[in-house]
Amino acid sequence: MNAETFKYDNRIVRAFGIATVVWGVVGMLVGMLAAVELFYPGANLNLQFITFGRIRPLHTNAVIFAFVGNGMFMGIYYSLQRLCKARMFSDFLSWFNFWGWQTIIVSAAVTLPLGFTTSKEYAELEWPIKIAIAIVWVVFTVNLIGTILKRREKHMYVAIWFFLATALTVAVLHITNSMTMPAGPFKSYSMYAGVQDALVQWWYGHNAVAFFLTTPYLGLMYYFLPKAANRPVFSYRLSIIHFWALIFLYIWAGPHHLLYTALPDWAQSLGMVFSLMLIAPSWGGMLNGLLTLRGAWDKVRQEPVLKFMVVAVTAYGMSTLEGPILAIKTVNSLSHYTDWTIAHVHTGAMGWNGFLTFSMLYFIFPRIYKTQLWSTKLANWHFWIGLLGMMFYIIPIYVAGITEGLMWKQFNKEGFLQYPNFLETIVQIVPMLRLRSIGGTLYLVGVFMMAYNLYRTAKAGQFEPDTEDQAVPWQKAQVAEHGKSPFHRLLEGKPLIFTVLTVVAILVGGIVEIIPMYLIKENVPTIASVKPYTPLEVLGRDLYIREGCLGCHSQMIRPFRSETERYGEYSKAGEFVYDHPFLWGSERKGPDLAREGGKYPAAWHYNHMDDPRSTSPGSIMPRYSWLLTQKLETDSLPARLGALRRVGVPYSEGFENGPAQKDLAAQADKIVAELKQGSVTTTPDREIIALIAYLQRLGTDIKAAPTITAAK
Amino acid sequence: MIKEVLESIQGIGLYGVVSICIFFGFFTGMLLWAFALKKNYLNTMGNLPLDGTELPEPSNHQKQS
Repeated sequence: MNAETFKYDNRIVRAFGIATVVWGVVGMLVGMLAAVELFYPGANLNLQFITFGRIRPLHTNAVIFAFVGNGMFMGIYYSLQRLCKARMFSDFLSWFNFWGWQTIIVSAAVTLPLGFTTSKEYAELEWPIKIAIAIVWVVFTVNLIGTILKRREKHMYVAIWFFLATALTVAVLHITNSMTMPAGPFKSYSMYAGVQDALVQWWYGHNAVAFFLTTPYLGLMYYFLPKAANRPVFSYRLSIIHFWALIFLYIWAGPHHLLYTALPDWAQSLGMVFSLMLIAPSWGGMLNGLLTLRGAWDKVRQEPVLKFMVVAVTAYGMSTLEGPILAIKTVNSLSHYTDWTIAHVHTGAMGWNGFLTFSMLYFIFPRIYKTQLWSTKLANWHFWIGLLGMMFYIIPIYVAGITEGLMWKQFNKEGFLQYPNFLETIVQIVPMLRLRSIGGTLYLVGVFMMAYNLYRTAKAGQFEPDTEDQAVPWQKAQVAEHGKSPFHRLLEGKPLIFTVLTVVAILVGGIVEIIPMYLIKENVPTIASVKPYTPLEVLGRDLYIREGCLGCHSQMIRPFRSETERYGEYSKAGEFVYDHPFLWGSERKGPDLAREGGKYPAAWHYNHMDDPRSTSPGSIMPRYSWLLTQKLETDSLPARLGALRRVGVPYSEGFENGPAQKDLAAQADKIVAELKQGSVTTTPDREIIALIAYLQRLGTDIKAAPTITAAK
Repeated sequence: MIKEVLESIQGIGLYGVVSICIFFGFFTGMLLWAFALKKNYLNTMGNLPLDGTELPEPSNHQKQS
C-alpha cells in the first residue's frame, strides 16, 4: 500500500485569518461608535450615514458575518483539510469563496449606511446582495462536500458533521427568509406579512445564531481544543449526542423571540419548551469541552491559546443557560425590549465567538509561519484586557436592562405608572451606557494588541504556503473493524446520506412551526377596518425602514397592563396583515410606536425630528434634520406599489399609474396645512411629510372599529 | 401564493401527533445508537485530530518572562 503525498493549502487560511482581524477591528469600531451615539447623540456629526439606526445593522452584520464569518472559514479551511487528509476540493472555489465573501462585506458596508436595508435583523442586505450570498455559500458548500468526498481518512470526525450541518442549514434559512419582491435595484418587500413575516424572520434570526455563530464554532472547538491541549476530547460519544440533539432541537426555538407578541400562543409555547430543552445538549457540549482539559489545567496557566478557549467554552455555557432562561415567558416579559438581551448576545459574541476566534488565530499563525508566537506576554495581556473589557461591557448593560424592565412595569400606590414618561427610564440608564462603551474600548484595545502580535509573528517567521503530508487513502487501505455498527459505517462512509439526514433533522422543526401558521386561519383573525397604507404612507414607511427607526422603537404592545397604560390597546395579529415587512422591532431605546398615530400634532413630529431635545429634553434620539430638507423621491412609487400588490396588498390594478400620485399629493397638502396651523412652513415634497403621514397612521385603524371578525 | 400551496395539504390536523412521534423516535433512536457504539471505535475517533501532526507543536513558554 502506497501512501500518497499531498499538500494542505495554507494561503487560503492566511487570507481568511487576515480578513478576520481586519473586519473584527472595523466591526468593533462601528460598534463603539454606535455605543457612544446612544449616550451622546451628537457623535453622528449630524451625518445621516453614520446615525445609529443605520450603523447598528452595520455593526451586527460586520461582527457576525465579517468577523466571525471569516474566522469560521479560516478555522474550517485549516481543520477540514487536516481532518480529511486532503487538500481542499478546488483552489478556485476556495478563492471564489474568499473574494466573494469580502465583496459581499464591502457591499454591505456601503449599502447599509446609504439606508438600503430590508430591516429584517441579520438579514438586512438588499436582494442583489442576498443573491450573491446564496451563490458564495453554495460555492463554499460544494468545496466542503467535495473535500469530504475526496478525503483519504475514512472516518468523518464530529467537527466535520458540524461544518456540514452549518453549510446546509444556513442555505435553507437564508433562502427561506430572503423571499422578497424587488421594487427596484435596492428595494424589496418581504413576501410574508405581519405575524407570518415575524415568525419566518425569527425562525431565521434565531437559527442564524444557532448555525452561523454556534454549530461551526462547536466543530472548531472539537478540533482546536483537543489539538491545543494535545489530548482527545473527553467523550466522543457525548459529542455525537451533542451534535444530533443540538441540530434537531435548535430549529424549533425561534418563536422565543416573539413571546407575548401577537404571535399565536401555541407557537410561543413551542418555542419556550424547546428552548428549555436546549440546555441539555448545550451544557453537554460545554462540559465535554471543559472536561477535555482534565489533568491539563497546568497547561492553561501557560498557553494563551488554552486560556482563550476556556473562557470561550465557559461563555458558551453561560449564554446557553441564559438563553433558555430568557425564553421562559415570565422572565421574557421583563427582559424583552431591554438591554438584557444586548448583554446576553454580547456574552456569546465577545466570549464564545470572539475568544474562540482569538485562540484559533494564536494557534494557526505560528504554525503556518513556522515559528513561535512573537510574544506570549502580549497575548496574556490581550487575554486579561479582553476579559476585563467583556466584564465592563456586560455587567453595566445587565444592570441597565433590568433597571429598564422594572421601571417600565412599576406602578405607584394609586395604581398609575410610576414612570409614565418613557424618557425617565432612559435617563436612568445613561451612566450604564457610558460604562459599557469603556468596556467595549478595552476589548478593542486587546484586539489591536493581537493584531500587532500576529503581525510580528508573521514577520519573524517564514510563511509556508503548502504543508506537505502523507496518507494512505482509506478506500485502498485495509480498514480495521471498529465495533459492529453497520448502520453507522454506512452513515459515515456515505456523506451524502448523512447530509440528507441532517437536512431532515433541521427541517422537521421548521416545517412543524411554519406550515400550520399558514394553514390555520384562526392564527391571524382579520380586522375589517385595517386597510392598506396610502401611497404617501408607503413612502413614509420606507423612510422609517431606511433610517432604521426599528433599531430603537418597537411596534408591538404586549398584553400587559404596564404596556396598555403606557401605549394604549395591545397589538393584534390582524393589524399587521399589510405589513411587508413587519416592523415589530426587538429593542426599546425609545417608546413603542404601535399606537403613535394621532398622539401628537404633525408640527410636534416636525420639530421632534428636527431636534428631539426641543420637544423632549434629555432625549438620546439623534436629530433627523435631513428629512426636513431632502426631497421625497416619488419616481419609484409605481414600482413600490406594484411590488406590494404582487405580494398580496390589495391595491387595484393601475392604481400606481395616476390615482396613487393624486392621492399622495392630496395627503401631502393636507399635512402641510396641518403643519401650518402649528406654525411650521414647509413644502409638500419633503421627506418629513411622508414620515409624518406614516407615523400618524400607526395603530389608528383599529380605533375605527374595535370588533375583530373571525377569518372568512 | 405560498399560502395556496400549503393550504392544499391534507390532514393537517395530524401534525401534532406526527411531530411528537418524530420527536420521541428521533431521540430514542439516536441515544440507542450512541450507546451501542464500541469503545474501540470511540477511542479511534477521539484521537483523529491528534493524528499526523504535520508540524512540531511550538512551545510558547520561552517568551514568557
